[in-house]
Amino acid sequence: MKKPKLFIISIAFVILVLSVVQVVVSNGLSTTGTELGRLQEEIGRYQTETAILSEKVLIASSLTQVASNAGALGFLEPKSQVYISSPLPIARR
Amino acid sequence: MSGRLKLVFGVFIVLFLSIIARLFYWQIVKAEELSVLGQAQYGSLITLQPKRGEIKTSDGFPVASNKVSYLVFANPKEVKEKDKTAMLLSSQLGEDIASVSSVLSLDKVWVRVKANVTPETKETLSKLQLTGIGFEEESTRFYPEASLAAHLIGFVGKGEYGENKGYFGLEGYYDRQLAGKPGKAVQIHDAFGRPILSRVNENAGAIDGRSITLSLDRTVQFIAEKALAEGVERYGASGGMVGIIDPATGQILAMASMPSFDQGKYQEYSETLYKNPFISSLYEPGSTFKSLVMSSGFDSDAVEPYTKCPICAGPVSLGGYEIRTWNNTYTKNVTMIDVIKNSDNIGMVYVSQKLGLSEMLQYFEKFGIGHLTGIDLQGEVSAEIKPEDNWYEIDVATASFGQGVSVTPMQLLSGFAAIANEGIRMEPHVVSKIETADGKTIDIPAKEVSRPISSTTAKVMTEVLVNAASHGEANFARLKGYRIAGKTGTAQIPIAGHYDPNKTIASFIGFAPANKPKFAMLVIVDRPTTSIYGSETAAPIFFRIAKDLLMYYGIPPEE
Repeated sequence: MKKPKLFIISIAFVILVLSVVQVVVSNGLSTTGTELGRLQEEIGRYQTETAILSEKVLIASSLTQVASNAGALGFLEPKSQVYISSPLPIARR
Repeated sequence: MSGRLKLVFGVFIVLFLSIIARLFYWQIVKAEELSVLGQAQYGSLITLQPKRGEIKTSDGFPVASNKVSYLVFANPKEVKEKDKTAMLLSSQLGEDIASVSSVLSLDKVWVRVKANVTPETKETLSKLQLTGIGFEEESTRFYPEASLAAHLIGFVGKGEYGENKGYFGLEGYYDRQLAGKPGKAVQIHDAFGRPILSRVNENAGAIDGRSITLSLDRTVQFIAEKALAEGVERYGASGGMVGIIDPATGQILAMASMPSFDQGKYQEYSETLYKNPFISSLYEPGSTFKSLVMSSGFDSDAVEPYTKCPICAGPVSLGGYEIRTWNNTYTKNVTMIDVIKNSDNIGMVYVSQKLGLSEMLQYFEKFGIGHLTGIDLQGEVSAEIKPEDNWYEIDVATASFGQGVSVTPMQLLSGFAAIANEGIRMEPHVVSKIETADGKTIDIPAKEVSRPISSTTAKVMTEVLVNAASHGEANFARLKGYRIAGKTGTAQIPIAGHYDPNKTIASFIGFAPANKPKFAMLVIVDRPTTSIYGSETAAPIFFRIAKDLLMYYGIPPEE
């Protein structure tokens, strides 16, 4: 008689403890939505910033821009190149 | 007593069964409907727009990419001080104040004020904290190199349902690959609209577009466009084109056309500019075509380099027409080498007579004349070669020097490049690889299409063309120290049954270095006014570009 009674009391105690734990955990999770929203906003902001900066980098490194800047800085187009060695012929007389 | 108990018991059973039935109805029969209603209350359906794939040149630089922009919208019912808001919006957005006011006066809860607004303008407007004005982030196509290779790339416009859609060039041809697939996601939120951690389902089915890498060399394209623009202006031409191909692989290194347009502002240009004339316009190629016909003559043993032309002492009459040379100069017993060097029309008539119509048409077929090249660009056209039965003697004669037959510049360049590639014609293509969103790469291999001539014939023809470039009418413009194979072209333009006496399409086609060609190039100048001849307009542009390319590739002089 005692053993079944002890068993039932133990089960009830475990159920009570788990219920309390569930309430505590749910309570903690309930406010994480705000944090999640904040993190998602921050990610979105950084992605937008990355996209905007990538656009600026691409424009700055475009050949059109580089050529224009080079001209403004006084760079000139090379007229010729100096080759130190020429290709060897296949055969010589 | 037991009867009343039974009755009460029965009532309770009936009530109990009714509740069970009702629960069954709501939880099983109506489950899906209620779930959808519930989602609508606590969840929001988000459409996830895929990122459009990029188009990159061979050095990995994206010539077509995506940038952040904003759509400015308004809720007219919430806008206070409509006049002040309209004034502020019009000044910041650069829009007419009357049109902004009319939009804000509409009896709607959502109206579009302006799309494609820059982040800087959006920031400025945000700081003004205008009631009823909101911003939606969008992704807009943008081209970092402005109008570089505009015809080749094409542009992104709107489709039937307002979706982004590629038109012309690569944006059109590869639209489905570049577009990707939108996805749907459901996000659960609380009563205040904040997301709940427990269930977030993101990126359900959204697939970003694939990126494509071109064989196009950005530097080569830049060099070609600059030289073409300068040449078109110098020679007072209506326009011009340059195409540069790697003969060994068929990869397009550059393709430029003028007049051009800015893909980012395509709406401001005439629709006639959108088509890429290098693949979409037909023209009679003139003397550049002689290189293909003479190659055919050598390959079929109809003529040899030192065969003498017995009919070249003067003009030739055929079918009531008189055929003359371009400069009315005639050389008796001229060799085939000199026929090409002097661009002798009579000599080419002789070649066509020795070759015969049937053989000539077979070589046209092998060189790809009359067929699409298969290049991976939207809008390619081709003119059909008329059936053998419909050819007259005069047609055969004129076709031998490139009149009376219509080709696109791409067809001519593709066929000519076979001479530079030991007689093997490769399929031209612009894309070298496709990259999927998850990083996999699909290479586009080179494809051999036909072998119009033997490698021996190709070598012989190369020497004939080197001689023509070095000692022909364009030799003043040639590059010293380099062996460059090339041929001039001055084609008359057909107008309403006859040829325009004053206007021509001037061209020069060639490849370099002759021994181991790195590139083959066709330059076309449309209706130049300073001179009508290819030797004086297209040839200088060709050699200007060739000089820059040989320096760029670090190829030293051979002589």
